[in-house]
Amino acid sequence: MITLIGIELYKLFKKWRTYIGFIAITVLVPIIQIAISIEGQKTLNFMTRSIQQSFLFVGNFLNSYLVSYLIMNSLYIHIPFLVTLAAGDLLAGEATAGTYRMLLTRPVSRFNVVTSKFLAGIIYTFLLVMWLAVLSLGIGTLIFGTGELIVMKSSALIIFSRNDILWRFASAYIFAVISMSVVTSLAFLFSSLVENSIGPIITTMAIIIAFIIISAIDVNAFRIIKPYLFTSYMGAWSSFFDKPADLETAWKAIGVLSAHIIILFSITLYIFKKKDILT
Amino acid sequence: MKKFFILIILIPFLSFPQSKDPRIILDNVKKTFSKIKDYEVSVDIKLDVSFLKVPETHATIYYKQPDKIYIASKDFALLPKGALDFSPAGFMKGNYTALFDREEIYDGTKTVVIKTIPLGESSDIVLTTFWIDPSKNIIRKVEVSTKVNGTFTIELKYDANSGYIQLPSSLVFKFNISKLNIPKRFTNQDESEQSKNYSKKSATGTVYIVYSNYKVNRGLPDSLFNTKK
Amino acid sequence: MHSEKVIEIVNLSKQFKEVKAVDDLELTVYRGDVFGFLGPNGAGKSTTIRMLLSLIKPTGGEIKLFGKSLRKERISILRDIGAIVEKPDFYGYLSAFKNLEILGRLSQTDVSQKRIMKVLEFVGLEKRYKSKVKTFSHGMKQRLGIAQALLHDPQLIILDEPTTGLDPQGMKEIRELIFHLSGVEKKTIFLSSHILSEVEQVANRMIILNKGRKIVEGSVSDLLNRNVLQVSFEVDDASTAEMKIKETAWGTKLKSSAKERLVFSLQHNEIAELNKFFIQNGVDVSAVIPTRSLEEYFLSIMEKNSI
Repeated sequence: MITLIGIELYKLFKKWRTYIGFIAITVLVPIIQIAISIEGQKTLNFMTRSIQQSFLFVGNFLNSYLVSYLIMNSLYIHIPFLVTLAAGDLLAGEATAGTYRMLLTRPVSRFNVVTSKFLAGIIYTFLLVMWLAVLSLGIGTLIFGTGELIVMKSSALIIFSRNDILWRFASAYIFAVISMSVVTSLAFLFSSLVENSIGPIITTMAIIIAFIIISAIDVNAFRIIKPYLFTSYMGAWSSFFDKPADLETAWKAIGVLSAHIIILFSITLYIFKKKDILT
Repeated sequence: MKKFFILIILIPFLSFPQSKDPRIILDNVKKTFSKIKDYEVSVDIKLDVSFLKVPETHATIYYKQPDKIYIASKDFALLPKGALDFSPAGFMKGNYTALFDREEIYDGTKTVVIKTIPLGESSDIVLTTFWIDPSKNIIRKVEVSTKVNGTFTIELKYDANSGYIQLPSSLVFKFNISKLNIPKRFTNQDESEQSKNYSKKSATGTVYIVYSNYKVNRGLPDSLFNTKK
Repeated sequence: MHSEKVIEIVNLSKQFKEVKAVDDLELTVYRGDVFGFLGPNGAGKSTTIRMLLSLIKPTGGEIKLFGKSLRKERISILRDIGAIVEKPDFYGYLSAFKNLEILGRLSQTDVSQKRIMKVLEFVGLEKRYKSKVKTFSHGMKQRLGIAQALLHDPQLIILDEPTTGLDPQGMKEIRELIFHLSGVEKKTIFLSSHILSEVEQVANRMIILNKGRKIVEGSVSDLLNRNVLQVSFEVDDASTAEMKIKETAWGTKLKSSAKERLVFSLQHNEIAELNKFFIQNGVDVSAVIPTRSLEEYFLSIMEKNSI
């Protein structure tokens, strides 16, 4: 199995499209950081304006943590697309290339083939999120330095002292890996159904966008189905940035998202085991 | 400690009946404080405010007569503007009318309650009430009503053993702001509904400040206060 | 002679929605066979091969390889099979060597770097081992396909239309390769093709498949001899013989004549009769050769079945 995962990772990282996600993050994160370094103080002042009427702030709030938090917030919609790009190709790519025939006539079980590909996809997702984390926090620290994290929630303005921040980011990024893995699993499922990777990519993105729109529109009918949309749980990373951290919400979301991953993967496995390879 | 209690018990007896003229009382307070040309003090700030979830912070406050004040922190500090400057002059800016209200035992000490009303329309302050310990000429409590920012009270405690009786050892700032708008930025789309109705509610809060390690009259340079604000 | 059954297919069928791609197929391949699997395009050859390799699940029937059920012992069976299924497709973004390395590692047998280079050499790609496969021509890919099929030294080699898209030289190479694998390396070979001439030259046994059904099965020599219709007679004096022939009804059956050869179109029982005729008329017959390839026979069967 480890050999298989190794092979899948090797194949994955020999493909150009695998790097699109990393390149996109490598380009986007510094751009956001530069933009914030220019405009950030103004924005920060604007955000805290009403509180500044009565309170005096001292400290470096425009720091790598705040910027990482903002990046996390703004890229949450975009990273799924990057994840899908590679995940949608995992199985369909072999169908397109015709390499299924070569791969599946080897003495390996289909279970192992699918599982190793899936795990390679999860590892890819993990690395992508970690890359985001490293760039956000790493370059952020170089540009802005560290400090306290100021977070504006609708219920309160929260400031976390610097020794109370990193575990929150670590948790949030791990959470992000889990929620992005749902996207991976979904794209992977679609990838098992078709013979080219465009379909899975578009379908996955369409589902995510549709779910997000439904989540965003505040209509009663939608409110009822909202708990059943996995996208409703993807934002729960921010509950680590509550004071105290809203672990109940986080765990619930982790539970729901993990269940999605398991179910989506099981369906993929079932489909793939029964699939006739005709390409 | 024991000494301290004895002192507190004795204070009412030791105090001589003094003039009830509120202006004189307030001037005495100012005069007492004016011996402090400048100070530097470490502060520990603890906020108990519903809409501000902030850890306990440490900072250094620099003050210089008449009204220069500067706060610095290695990490960060957040404190109510009203709690920054406890100098009597800070509470009595501009022209005002002072009225003697009553005498009251406040926190075990006989105090004189004086109300001041600012003259003119410019001030946000509607009414300020002082609880003054006339024996030491120090303010024990201030209550301020404002037009826009609600009301707030400041309670000051002093350490009798410190060299400077006019410098408090702790301060409790309580406020009640009738309307407070927190812009909905930085917030996630899917935050629960309960938080939505928050913004327009009145907000109360308490801020605890503990002062320690006063360094008084060391001749702080003016430049210190110009660095940044 | 035929002791061990390498492939045994019983009642095999595959239904794709309305289409019955393979219908109640039975065949047996013995160890050492070069088995020709013939049929026109769409006859169900590929579907059968895919079922043999477990790429497609049969709707009915049973496949046994090396005496083991494919359904139950798929992995241990696949370890001993090397295959090219239709056109050879590889990971184009990887080198020839890397492709083989990956496939070798998937084969559960120790495929050393030396072994990879050896098979690359065997198919004549050793100089291009570092090149990405996407830069390869079809012929090169085909050869790489053979390399991957041989990589793990399997007992059974399944070649699905191995000469598709190859030039005559390439076809010849494949033929020689099959001779080598069968003759020298003693492999069992299952060769599918829609070109009869390709099969008849190398196979010892074959079946012909059409519309998913078996039409004919047997040894290639038997099939060649059955219903032979075109026979060439080698005679001492063709022109005299021709003259004599044209005086009789045999003349209508004469197809062509050369210096010492007369070619007739005959029923099986007519061969002896004609031979007798020549002898009676003083023509020395030095040889009677059935020159006809299976081709026409094959085509005729195809025609018969397509009606």
